[in-house]
Amino acid sequence: MAVFWRLLGFLRPYRKGVIASAVLAALAMGATVLLPYLIGTAIDETTAGSADTHNANAWTDHKGYLTFVAIMIVITAMLRLALTVARRLVAGRVSLGVEVDLRQRLYDHLQSLELGFFDRQQTGQLMSRATVDLQSVRFFLGYGLIFIMQSALTIVLAAVAMFFVDPGLAAIALAPVPVVIVIAWRYGRRARPAQQEVQQRIAELTADAEENVSGVRVIKAFAREQVQLHRFRQSVARVFEQAMIATRVQAFYTPAIGFLPNLGLAAILLFGGLSVIHGSLSIGDFSAFYTYLLMLISPMRTLGYMLGTAQRATASGRRVFQILDRPTAMPVPEDAPPLPDGAGRVELRDVTLRYEGTTQPALRDVSLAVEAGTTVALVGPTASGKTTLVSLIPRLYDPTSGSVLVDGADVRTVEPRSLRRQIALVTDDPFLFSASVHENIAYAKPDATRDEVVAAARRAQAHAFVTELPDGYDTMIGERGLTVSGGQRQRLAIARAILADPRILILDDATSSVDASTEQLIKRALAEVMRGRTTFVIAHRLSTITLADEVVVLERGQITARGTHDELLEQSALYREIVEKGLPDQVFLNRAPTEAVGL
Amino acid sequence: MRQEILRRLRATRGRGRKLRGMAVLLRPYRGRVIAMFAALLVATAATLAPPPLAKLAIDDGITPGNVTVLYWTVAAFLASALILWGATWLQTYLVGWVGQRALQDLRIEVFGHLQRMSIGFYSRRRSGVLISRLTNDVEALDQLVSDGVVTLFQSTLTVIGTIVILFWLDAELAALTMLAVPLLLLGSLGFRIASADAYRITRERIALITAYLQETLSGVRVVRAFGREARHLKQFAKLNDDNRAANMKTVNLNAAYFPAVELLSALVTVAILLYGGYQAINDQVTVGVLVAFITALNTFFDPIQQLSQLYTTYQSGMAALDKIFELLDEQPDLVDAPNAVELGRLRGEIAFEDVAFRYAGQDQWALCDTDLHVPPGQTVALVGATGAGKSTLAKLVARFYDPDRGRVLVDGHDLRTVTSQSLRSQMGIVPQEAFLFSGTVRENIVFGKPEATLTEVREAAAAVGADGFITELEDGYDTEVGERGVQLSAGQRQLIAFARALIADPRILVLDEATSNVDIHTEGQIERGLRRLLAGRTAIVIAHRLSTIRQAGRIVVLEHGNVVEQGTHDELIAAEGAYFRLYRDWAEQAAA
Repeated sequence: MAVFWRLLGFLRPYRKGVIASAVLAALAMGATVLLPYLIGTAIDETTAGSADTHNANAWTDHKGYLTFVAIMIVITAMLRLALTVARRLVAGRVSLGVEVDLRQRLYDHLQSLELGFFDRQQTGQLMSRATVDLQSVRFFLGYGLIFIMQSALTIVLAAVAMFFVDPGLAAIALAPVPVVIVIAWRYGRRARPAQQEVQQRIAELTADAEENVSGVRVIKAFAREQVQLHRFRQSVARVFEQAMIATRVQAFYTPAIGFLPNLGLAAILLFGGLSVIHGSLSIGDFSAFYTYLLMLISPMRTLGYMLGTAQRATASGRRVFQILDRPTAMPVPEDAPPLPDGAGRVELRDVTLRYEGTTQPALRDVSLAVEAGTTVALVGPTASGKTTLVSLIPRLYDPTSGSVLVDGADVRTVEPRSLRRQIALVTDDPFLFSASVHENIAYAKPDATRDEVVAAARRAQAHAFVTELPDGYDTMIGERGLTVSGGQRQRLAIARAILADPRILILDDATSSVDASTEQLIKRALAEVMRGRTTFVIAHRLSTITLADEVVVLERGQITARGTHDELLEQSALYREIVEKGLPDQVFLNRAPTEAVGL
Repeated sequence: MRQEILRRLRATRGRGRKLRGMAVLLRPYRGRVIAMFAALLVATAATLAPPPLAKLAIDDGITPGNVTVLYWTVAAFLASALILWGATWLQTYLVGWVGQRALQDLRIEVFGHLQRMSIGFYSRRRSGVLISRLTNDVEALDQLVSDGVVTLFQSTLTVIGTIVILFWLDAELAALTMLAVPLLLLGSLGFRIASADAYRITRERIALITAYLQETLSGVRVVRAFGREARHLKQFAKLNDDNRAANMKTVNLNAAYFPAVELLSALVTVAILLYGGYQAINDQVTVGVLVAFITALNTFFDPIQQLSQLYTTYQSGMAALDKIFELLDEQPDLVDAPNAVELGRLRGEIAFEDVAFRYAGQDQWALCDTDLHVPPGQTVALVGATGAGKSTLAKLVARFYDPDRGRVLVDGHDLRTVTSQSLRSQMGIVPQEAFLFSGTVRENIVFGKPEATLTEVREAAAAVGADGFITELEDGYDTEVGERGVQLSAGQRQLIAFARALIADPRILVLDEATSNVDIHTEGQIERGLRRLLAGRTAIVIAHRLSTIRQAGRIVVLEHGNVVEQGTHDELIAAEGAYFRLYRDWAEQAAA
């Protein structure tokens, strides 16, 4: 229930709109209820008129009154039109406003959460909070609430009117109402989850289809078409099964909801009809009664169904609040100062970091001071802590104990954006956004001119291939654009880092998947870019290691050796082993770019 | 403007093809389809029954005070309600069953058809478009089936039935009512035309939001590292706002349309009341007729409105069907010859005889007049610049394409005369970027030999040096990989692809060597795995590593689609030709 009230809190900025649409809805409902009454009056008048045919004066009176009632009906209908239009416009704005607010809140919060949160959460889970759950909440807040009020009001008003006309008959006619509401409520609760499960399975089917189209070469190569078809058949069958479950739910509830109001109508026909025959009910009252009940059918269903969706919206709201309520584990002190000026000196003091959910620390008591402007190569086997170490500098993670200092300031005490603006990261698998090449390079400096972008691309040896792309620097790349090869992605990431002009540069094995000639060019470009910046290189190749002033060897989260290349060859057995045996072959020939049709 | 309206109105082409296609889809379920239509008919009739029964009750029972007639009509009223219940249940169930079953068949048919198409077909088409045939287009049909069929059938019947009832009740009043119909139809159509694009735009906008969300969540590290949160927030706010604006347009359209329909229906009621009322006073109609008429009017406007609402669903469903049938009508271009022979166990001899090939739509020959003979068991390293024809040559061996001229032979058989199943089951292909399917590590390794035991899987993995990291995974060989599982590094994926090729024990191996970013240890493992994989089989390797090239039995140097040199490393260095120049350039660079 607390969740429910909290959800209602999102309507607070739209208080006026909500009240206005409620008032408009109530008035429109009033007009809707008035219409059958007027029609009933008209029919009574007609009945009286046809009885009075012989009296010329009365006959004219009846005709005149009928005309008057007809004009009233027209006016009421016009009024209802105006009220409904206004209600729809106001309610639509409220609903969309709530949706925009909620989604923005969620996105804002996600952007403020620490990176560790995303390591543990599946993207799909987060996506479903932001789409499915948000939709059911906004549907309920925007429309559901109004519908519930409107339906409830209609039922109450019609019921009052009916009781006013004939209490006994009203009690009989309204008997099915609570049953219909309960059934519709259960339907509202069960139908959507069943349907959502169908959607879920269709999504799985889509993933299957995607995989089979993308992996068609492997399938053909192993002559596995039949087996894949069989697997796909099973996925399709899963969709069918769930769709039938949803169909059965629908087949069970819909006819029942349709049937019950007919019972009420039959009761009115029988008992109301008998009353008319016995003279205790006028034919006009009778037809008004009948019309009221007809009018109630749809609000009954709506009310029940909407109550079901309210329940679901509460469940969805709970899931959304789980994210919104999660405090960021990487707090920034109020009015944290920006990173002080400096040349990029980095120091780690007794740093230990254990990732949440793991037993072994990724880094153990690491102390390392790197003077401004120098280049350090980090070398070590997989999972020795190289990537973890460099992630601490832009404060992507906080150490479990110890501290990280950049230009003398503990990174936890400064404004994180000012820190990160001074650090550029080129990872081994660079992520590019679905945007133009220009926008991707200018990511850290959106107002960069084309000349600046081109200059950065030239220095990263990306200019040549960019100009060969269909639209040059305006070519759309990324998930929803042109696919570029790993080597090209890396050069773009290097260009992005160059344009950011940071104090500290972090390269994570960034030159490993480009061909030999490009690697040489990049090496030169990097040497130039590194000048005057503190650089951390996670190196896998001798050629990269030679760029460094100093080499740090990491093993199981600890620094086991430090020194120049020559010193380490003497001192460190692991380093000797790495250099002698482990360093891979130089790439010999031009590597074919990843074509649309790779082998 | 006129063109624009025509575009939005236009129905789809090829009605005959679609009808035939649908008939084929529904034929296996004839019985149920007939039952479905019967249920629809009964349900619609039962929906229409109450107004005339109410009229009967009032005019012949209540007004004259005839209790017997009243009892009977109420009984009939109840009976019709019960029939409605049963028929609706049956109809909902059958429509769901038949529709979903037909969609299931269609999905499988499209999928099977795609599987029969050649690699050439896939390189001509964008995979997104093909996937969308299987997903979005079938979805559009799904919508038409689950919402459309019942509405289409029931609304049409209801409208016709109501018109009959109205005319039966009173022809003059009915004629008066019909005056409103063109107005409603025109208004509804206008609304549809105006809103069709508006709704499409809202769908596109929300898709943009989802995609943006997805992207910034996957790229969250880059966002943080560059400290660009504020910019993404701003951009997201803009997308969010655009979405609101698009939706607002539909709200405005709906606000204009639906109340107007209600008003129209009220105005018709007034007209009937006024005109009918005068007539009733003049004793030209009975009050019962008037009540029944007004009740029937309620069931008249709704279905007309629903039918015009259905217009866009119908249109997009038909367009989807068009696209699906277009795909199904496309003939597979690389099928086994009718008299194709099954290959026995291969020795692994490969020969190219005057082979020339170019890709569809290209002027340049990708390979011209290539002659090549590979004896069983030899490893051939293909060497050359990008676009020299290395991967084309490899693809022709796997018969992903047929040559335009000349022949490709395996053990003396022209590839065009053998079954692709028997060829490919003896051929291992390792692409540059190892593609893994979602499923466990084990399922991926046994891809080419589904009956392999766990021991065999372990042996194969151990042979290529993948056993070590696999056993360290959370669930070992049962760890889920691919999109829905753990993320493996490029090197690890490569090793699994090696194991997959090894367990299939191919006679011929076609391998595109990757030089992707792997760490030092994995690099060494890959080299050892590769050596193990190549041992004892004929292999064509698109080589990038010096160590691989040195070990090859023969190096084939390609330039512009021609074989320019062949021989061992030492022979070619001694010859001081194209290979020598490539090697010298590399050595100079490496020394720099």
